[in-house]
Formats: sequence, structure tokens, C-alpha cells
Amino acid sequence: MTAFEASSARIASPHTEQLAEPVGAALATTDKSREISTRWAALLQTFGSLVWIPQAVLVSVAVGNIASGAKAEVAILPAAGIFVLGALRAILERAGTRRAYDAARNRLSDLRQQASHAVARQSPLDASRPSSGHVASTLAEQAEAIVPYLARFEPLRLKSMVVPLVILACILPLSWAAALVLLVAAPLIPIFMALIGWRAKEASENQLAEMGGMNAYLLDRLRGLATIRAFDAVDRTALQLRANAETLRERTMAVLRIAFLSSAVLELFSALGVAMVAVYVGFHFLGQLDFGAWGGSLSLSQGLFILLLAPAFFEPLRELSSVWHDRAAGQAGLKALQDLSSSQTAIVGAVESTVPEVIDEALSVSIDGLCFTYSGNETPVLDRFTLVIAPGEHVAIMAPSGGGKSTLLALLAGLAPASAGSIRIGGEPLNAATAARLRAHIGWLGQPPHIFAGTIESNVSLDRPGVGKQDVAGALEIARMTELTDHRGSSPIGENGVGLSGGEALRLAIARAAAGHPRGLLLADEPTAHLDSGTAEEVSERLLAIAAGSTLIVATHDPRLAARMNRIVTFEAPARDTAS
Amino acid sequence: MSTLAQLRPVAALFFRGNRRNLLFGAALSLTTALAGIALLGLSGWFITATAIAGASIVTALAFDVFMPSAGIRLLAIGRTASRYGERLATHDATLRVLARLRENLFRGWATPDTARNLSMQPSRLLFRLTMDVDALDSLYLRLVVPVLASAGAAVAVAVALAFVQPALGLVVGVVLLAGGLGIPLVAAIRAKSVARRRARALETLRSRAIDLVRGQVDLAMSNRLGAHLRLMAATDQSLATADRELNRIESDAGLGLGILGAAILASVLVAVAFLAERGTIGAPVATFAVLLALAALEPFGALRRGAIEFGRTLLAAQRLGPRLAEPPHTDKRESVEDDDLAFRIDHAEVRLSGASRPILQNVSLKAALGEHIAIIGPSGAGKSTLLSLLAGELSPACGKVATRKVGLLTQRTELFRDSLRGNLLTANPSANDTMMLDALNSAGLGSLVTSLPRGLDTMLGEGGTGLSGGQARRLALARLFLRDAPIWLLDEPTEGVDGDTARDVIERIGARAAERTVVIATHIRREAEIANRFIELKAGRVEADRKQDSVEYGVLVNRLRPN
Repeated sequence: MTAFEASSARIASPHTEQLAEPVGAALATTDKSREISTRWAALLQTFGSLVWIPQAVLVSVAVGNIASGAKAEVAILPAAGIFVLGALRAILERAGTRRAYDAARNRLSDLRQQASHAVARQSPLDASRPSSGHVASTLAEQAEAIVPYLARFEPLRLKSMVVPLVILACILPLSWAAALVLLVAAPLIPIFMALIGWRAKEASENQLAEMGGMNAYLLDRLRGLATIRAFDAVDRTALQLRANAETLRERTMAVLRIAFLSSAVLELFSALGVAMVAVYVGFHFLGQLDFGAWGGSLSLSQGLFILLLAPAFFEPLRELSSVWHDRAAGQAGLKALQDLSSSQTAIVGAVESTVPEVIDEALSVSIDGLCFTYSGNETPVLDRFTLVIAPGEHVAIMAPSGGGKSTLLALLAGLAPASAGSIRIGGEPLNAATAARLRAHIGWLGQPPHIFAGTIESNVSLDRPGVGKQDVAGALEIARMTELTDHRGSSPIGENGVGLSGGEALRLAIARAAAGHPRGLLLADEPTAHLDSGTAEEVSERLLAIAAGSTLIVATHDPRLAARMNRIVTFEAPARDTAS
Repeated sequence: MSTLAQLRPVAALFFRGNRRNLLFGAALSLTTALAGIALLGLSGWFITATAIAGASIVTALAFDVFMPSAGIRLLAIGRTASRYGERLATHDATLRVLARLRENLFRGWATPDTARNLSMQPSRLLFRLTMDVDALDSLYLRLVVPVLASAGAAVAVAVALAFVQPALGLVVGVVLLAGGLGIPLVAAIRAKSVARRRARALETLRSRAIDLVRGQVDLAMSNRLGAHLRLMAATDQSLATADRELNRIESDAGLGLGILGAAILASVLVAVAFLAERGTIGAPVATFAVLLALAALEPFGALRRGAIEFGRTLLAAQRLGPRLAEPPHTDKRESVEDDDLAFRIDHAEVRLSGASRPILQNVSLKAALGEHIAIIGPSGAGKSTLLSLLAGELSPACGKVATRKVGLLTQRTELFRDSLRGNLLTANPSANDTMMLDALNSAGLGSLVTSLPRGLDTMLGEGGTGLSGGQARRLALARLFLRDAPIWLLDEPTEGVDGDTARDVIERIGARAAERTVVIATHIRREAEIANRFIELKAGRVEADRKQDSVEYGVLVNRLRPN
């Protein structure tokens, strides 16, 4: 736990500019201790399994005594030993599983943290950025599969290598024949599993993934419920859903019939191994198979001991096969998380500024020779773009769709590094060292704004320190949202703003920007797009209200909004230094 | 007992019509467990008996080896066969249940108010649904089957030991059942609230991951990205705490079962030693008893996982249970009795739960057959709500809605992972290929479809992926054209579609809408232009209702967005 606290404390530290490195370093050192921990866990579990050997000795000696007509009291001491050893085995087993689990679970936390940091840093302009649905299912469900893989499969590997060998070493001095039976049966298991098992198993995993596809099918139809209901197709769709699931079941069962053969082979060999050992020992006692005991003959206790060890010989292999699926899922989870972590274009600077510095004056903006090309594209969206904006000036950037307006705003906010050129905000160059602090002085009005789960108020405040109830109320007032909050009460907004109209969402974004008291610079990306004229008018009005006294840059199509700025900058793609 | 009551709808679903499959799977599981125990017991008996018989040549030759050695081999092979059968049977039974479950869930969700709930929180609810469905697997595979198999095996062992000595059988049986079922039960009780906490934390982590991606810019620009990451780490920590607690409970149960097993083994050993000393039993039977005691607790080990997951399963059962009941008939729309009327709404009011003001209040409207109506008004005025009311998506809190059969074009294009044909059949199951191609032609997709190598059988991805936005809109339109309904409801039919496509789509709607009543919610002039009547909504009330020939008509048109 200390490892985790250390790494999270580093994230919270003021020197967040070099965030990636300390986390990586912390992970490297914890990885080592975790590996040791996992190894210990595997040893504990292996040792626990080996405790069965002395237990088996005691059981067979006690039974041997009973057979030779010893007094009953003679059995008490071995029985006590059996109990103590059994308890020891259970304790070791528990300690081993817990250690292995903790190590695996901590690893998951680290990987999740790494991946979410990578996602947070990846530039929104990066086209290879994964979708939210993909990130969510990778970070949440898929990542879960790592824990059983690391906690169960890894310790079992050691156990399955050590335990059978030790058991064989115990049996061999007593009877080479019995050891041979086990020795022949054991390697056959992996061979057979490899021959028919693993390929079929893969097929069955694909099939089970297709079963998961059934969920997707159901969700797909549920998402279109309004259409299905309006077309009176509920009954038909339900029957179709059922029919598809039934066909899939039949196909799945056809695959499973073959796939399960592999585990059947494993079962068969382990059961036959035990049976053959028993039969061999029995016939040996009867004198019908008098070979195999190095020229001598086995005692009852020895025979019984061999019998008791036979199932334990196969046990780790059986366990290993039962967690085989965990391995596939766990490795897929690890890979998916790694893919998330290998981000390409990152935002400029750290993810946050920890300098609580409030500016109370408008900032100048000077853009010099700014270039930007989307990866995979030949032509730049911005080509040596130059523009100087005075503090307090209100500027509209007008360009056709795809003309680079939004890109320009994103570059001004440091949401992606420019290919060439420089940006100065308030005279300070925007770079990795300053970006996070400068962003804190920029108000942002994106289109569409993301609506978080929660109430309108919580969406306005975003839990920012320094944004209190008063600020939220003031911001709602400025954005003319009080009527809306009144009639909605404190009911939460639907997911991603469902239930809010386009205009309401925009006003929420305005309130959000207003609550942060942006004095330096306000960037607004097409604030009136997709709004009817009346609402657009209202939104423009509110935007100007919060921008009073600060520098404002609006990217827009809307001539009416543009007309209300001090200056209009137009450009055709690719944008070059443009006269205004 | 409330716990069991919560499980009832789910259990009913499991067992209705599937009882034989489920019991067969459990029976095979029991057979597997018994064969394993018997194999060990018989082997022990055989070895001891042969060892004693082998002491003298006479008894060695007289010993009947055939029965026991054949029995041992039979049990070994039988165990394998029944294990194989068990896995097939239990999987088949589970898949059958899941097929039925999906159908019932779909029906359960298809009632108007639940459907609306779903549309408010699609990804959260759908994720929850997936996890709940998966959690239900565990009820049969990890609880019912192991409980039946392990308890059955314990009873069988007790009976076998009772033949050795009645009191021994009774005591071992009671201890096996009490301990073997009691320890997992304690684990289940301990884990119940933790498992729920875990499920909730996972949901939170997931929605925060979505917020991280979708809200990245908003968070970064509010200097909250770092805080959001810490929030996610904290969520993961509470998830980790729950995970660890569950692991502790599970390993405690393992410890309990391990110690119990050792105690049973040691006590039976002492007991048979005394019985043998008294001459009640011989050494072979003593070995048999000891080995039964050794193997009897093993099947209970399989219950640990099910016990840990029980809380989650119960949560799933609680959430899904209500959806599985026979859905009530909640469509309160009446049919229209008047000959030339398309629909009528009388004093309808619609209210969100918890809101102080209704979305629609005292709305009364009548439309004649063949009228083309544009519903206009600022965003949030209730335009979509009015369409939902007519489509039966929403029931009015008070007032009455009467309508004829409707066809709906939703604002967001709703297509399905299916073939083009399958998508079109949603609107009209009796449509043939000629009708479909005709509809596709009218929607402007004819040439695209004929150019596709698989034509109408071309498959679409989830939500209709594989088509461009404009094509998807046209396909939705073709689907609407196939719907033989006197009323068409169109919610912003060209929103998010580029100008040329939009104008084309509107024209095509106009061409096919001649004898129909069309209700179109819009704030764009081009869409409103096919209407001959305007209804303006404002704050949930009808503000204006103008026919084309009235003076204010032009004023209303001019207020709309020009493009």
C-alpha cells in the first residue's frame, strides 16, 4: 500500500510538469518488490501442497498399524499430527493466496493509473484517441481480468512444476513401477491437451466471445427502443432475439462438445493414473505383479502412501487447466491497458496547475507563424498563421467548416503541440513549462460541452476550489439558467446531457466558464451552432456578458455573433497570416 | 426470507420449462463427485484387502480381484464421462436460460416509462444490465449445482459410513453438511454488502472513465484534470479495498474448510482405529472409511466462489426481477373514433419526476387527416416531448391522447446490427423486396444498394455503423416510407445532415407524405416549409396555432433558422 501512496503523493506534488517520470520510476521500484511478493506467494502455496506428503505418511502408517492389529491408542498421535499438518496446510494456502492476490491487485491499480494518466494526456486533436466506450470497458471490466491471471495462474505455474516432481521423487524409491505409471500419464496430458484441446479451446473462447456478442445484440436493440416501439416491433424483436440466442446456443454447444474433450482427457488420465496405481499395488500385494519395487515388496503402508500421493500428483495440472481461461483473459487485459498507455500526441504541459494564481487583467495573445497538420494528412490546417490580439479585444475567427478554427482554439489552449510557430499569452510563451498555468487563466466554451453525471449546480462548479455556492448562483444568473434550475429542482441531468436542449447545454457551458471568473482570456468554439435564432441571440448576449473586461476569441459561422466583436478575422484553409 | 423473495422472479425464469435440463446437469455433477470419492475409497479398500490377503499364498490365490479392479477402472472412466456430460449439460442449461432471459428482459424494458428511463442513461443502464446478466450465470453454475452435488455427496458418504457404523455415519454426515454448507454460508453473508459495494464502485469507475475521455477538454480547461485522475484513483482504491475484503473472506472460507477437513480425517482415523480394535470392522473397511472422509469435503470447495459472488447475484436479481415480470400494458393512448381526425390531445400534462414545472401543460390539439404540421419553438419548449406523447413513448400525467397508427423518425438515427433487409422489416414485417427497393429509391439510396455486392443482405454494424451519417438518415427514411401508417412523426429529420442532403431528404418526405398526416418538430426553415400548419410551443404550452393562410404564418416562418 505504501508503494501506491508514494506514487499518488507524487502526482499530487506541485512539480507536476514532469508527471510521467516519477510515476514510472515509482512503478519500476514497486514492480520489483511485487515480483518478490508474488514469488513468496507461489512458494507458500507450493509448500502448502507439499505438506500433504507428511500427512499421507501419517495416514498410511496409522492404517498400517490398524491392519497389523496394533492398539487403537497408537492411532491418536498420527491423527493429531494429521490434524496439525492439515491446519498448517490450510494456513499456508491462505497466506499464499492472500499475498498473491494483493500483489496482483496492486499491479492492477498501478496499470489503471498509468493508463488513465495516458488517456488524460492524449491530445483531443489526436485522431487515434480511443473512444470513451473503449476506454471505459478497458479500464473497468477488461482490466479486472488481470487479477485472477496474476493471482492464480502465476503461482500455479511454480506449483505445477515443483509438486509433481517432489511426489515422483517420494514414490520412486519405493516403487519404480508406480512412478512410471504416473510419469507416463502426466506428459500425455499436455500432449493431448495440445493436440485436441487448445485449438478447440480457442474456438470455444471465440464462441464464448460471440455469446458476449449476444449482450451487444440486446443492447443494440435496446438503444433503438423508441423506433422499435413506434413501429410496433417489440414482439417481433423479442422473438428474433430469442431465436438468435437459441441458434447461437446450438452452435456453441457443437463447439463445446469438442472443446470439453480436452479437459475430459485430463480427467481421464488423472483418474486412470490413480486407478492404475491402485490396481498395480493391489496385484503387487497378491504377488501377481512382483516387479517394480526394486526387487523387494511393498508394505501396506508404502502401498497406501503411493495411492494417497497419486491424486496429489495430478492436482496442480488440473488446477492449471481450470485457470487456463484466466490466462487468456488476463493477457488480453494487460495488452489492452498497454495499448491505452502508448499514447501518441500529448497535450502541452502537465494535466494541472497547482499554482493558485488569479489574474485580474485581460491578456494579450500573439500568434506567430503557427502551423498544424493532422497526422495522416498531407495538407496543413494551419500554415504559418500569424495574429496579434490586444488585451481586452473581442475577436471573431470566421472560416468554413474544416478551416482550422477549432484547431486554432485548441492550440491556443495548449491542447496539442503546434507543428511550428509560437504562441504567447500575456507575453508569456506557451510551452510545456507554462501551459498548465496558462490554461488556468483561460475560460473555455466548447461545443458541445460535456455534461457530467450530477446536478446542474455540480456541473457548473465542477468542484473547483474557490468556486463556492455564491459563484455558482452568480454564474447561473449570468447564464440566465435560474428558471431552468428552478423547474428542474435538484434532479440529476441525464447521461451526457440527455434531457437538456442544445441551448440549455450551451448556457450551462457559459455558466461553467463564468463560475471560474476568467479574466485573462475566453475562448469560445462555435457557441451558436445548431441553435435556433432566438436561442442563438440569447447565447451571444450571455457570452458577451461574461466576456466583459477580458480578451475574447470566438470561432464562429454566425455572422450576427461575429458582428458583435471588435474585429473579424477570416481565413480560407489553409490559414495563413491574414489581414483583418 | 426477503432474500429468497428477491430471487423468486429469476429462479422462476430459470426453472420454467427448463427444470429437467437443470436437474440433469446437477445430477451429473453429483455423479462426478460420487465417482471421485468412491474411486479413492474403493482403491484404499482394495489395497488393504489385497495386502492382508497377500500375506499367505492360499488367501492370495482365493482373492477375487476381478470385481474390485474392474470397479476401480469403471469408476475412473465413469467419472471422466460424467464430468464431460456435466459440463455439457450445465452449459446447455445455462445458455437456454440466458436465451430466455434476454427475450424477457427486452420485453421488460420495452414498456414506455422504463424505455424513457433507459434513454436518459443509456450507457450506465446498459452496462449495468450486461453485468447483471453475467452475474446471474453464477446462480446456477456456482451455487445451485455445487450445493446439490456437494450436499448429495455428503449424504452418500454419511450413508456409506453408516454401514460401517451407524453413529459414525450420522456424526460425519452432520458435520459435513453443517460445516461444508455453513462455512460458505457465513462467507456469503460476510461478502454480501462488500460485493454490492464492489459492483457500485466498478460502475463509478466506468462512468468516470467515460467522463475522462468525453470531458477531457472541459476538465483540462477548468484545471480539474488532475483532480479527476485522483478521483479515479480513489475509486480504484475503494474497489481494491472491496476486492481485498472479498479475497479475505474467500481465503477464510478456504481456511475453515481446510481445518474442518483435517479434523474430520483425524477423527475418523481415530474412530476406525477403535472400531478395528474392538473387531467391529476389519482393516480394509477402516481404510475405506478413512479415504471417504478424506475425499468427502472436496466438493464443498467449489461453493466458495459462488458464496463470494452471491451478493452480486442477489443485486442482479433485485434489479432484473422487476423487468422479468409480465410487463404491464402501459400504453394509454386511445384510438381515434372520428372519421377524418388523425389524432387528438386533450388537456395533456407531462411532468418529469422531481421537477417543479411540467414539460407540457394543458396541451390540447386536434389534427385532421392529411394535415402537415410543424411544431416549432425554442429548444426546451417541449417539441420532442409532444412527439413522444403521440408515439406512446410517454404517458400524460393527466389528460387524454387518442391517435391512429404512427410511424416515427427519431431525432437520433436508430439503426440496428442487422442486414439492410432486417432493418427495413422493423417497420413493416410483410414488406417484400420490391417494396423495399422502391422505398430505398424514394429515400435516395436505390443506387447505393444496387451497387452493393450483397444488396439487401448487406450487414450493418452496431447502431447501423458502416453507413455515413447521410446514408444512415436516408435508410431510416426508407424504413419510415415502408411504414403504412396514416401519421408520420418526424423529429428534426435533417439535423446533423449536410445542406444538400437535407434539402433532398425534405423533398422526398414531401413527395411521399401527400395523403398522410405529418408532424414535424423543427427549428429549421427548410424542414418547416412542407407544413401547412404551424404550432408554436413555449415553455410547455401552445403559444400559437396558425394555418398557412393566416397573417402571422410568415412571421413564424421567418423566426426559424434560415439554412
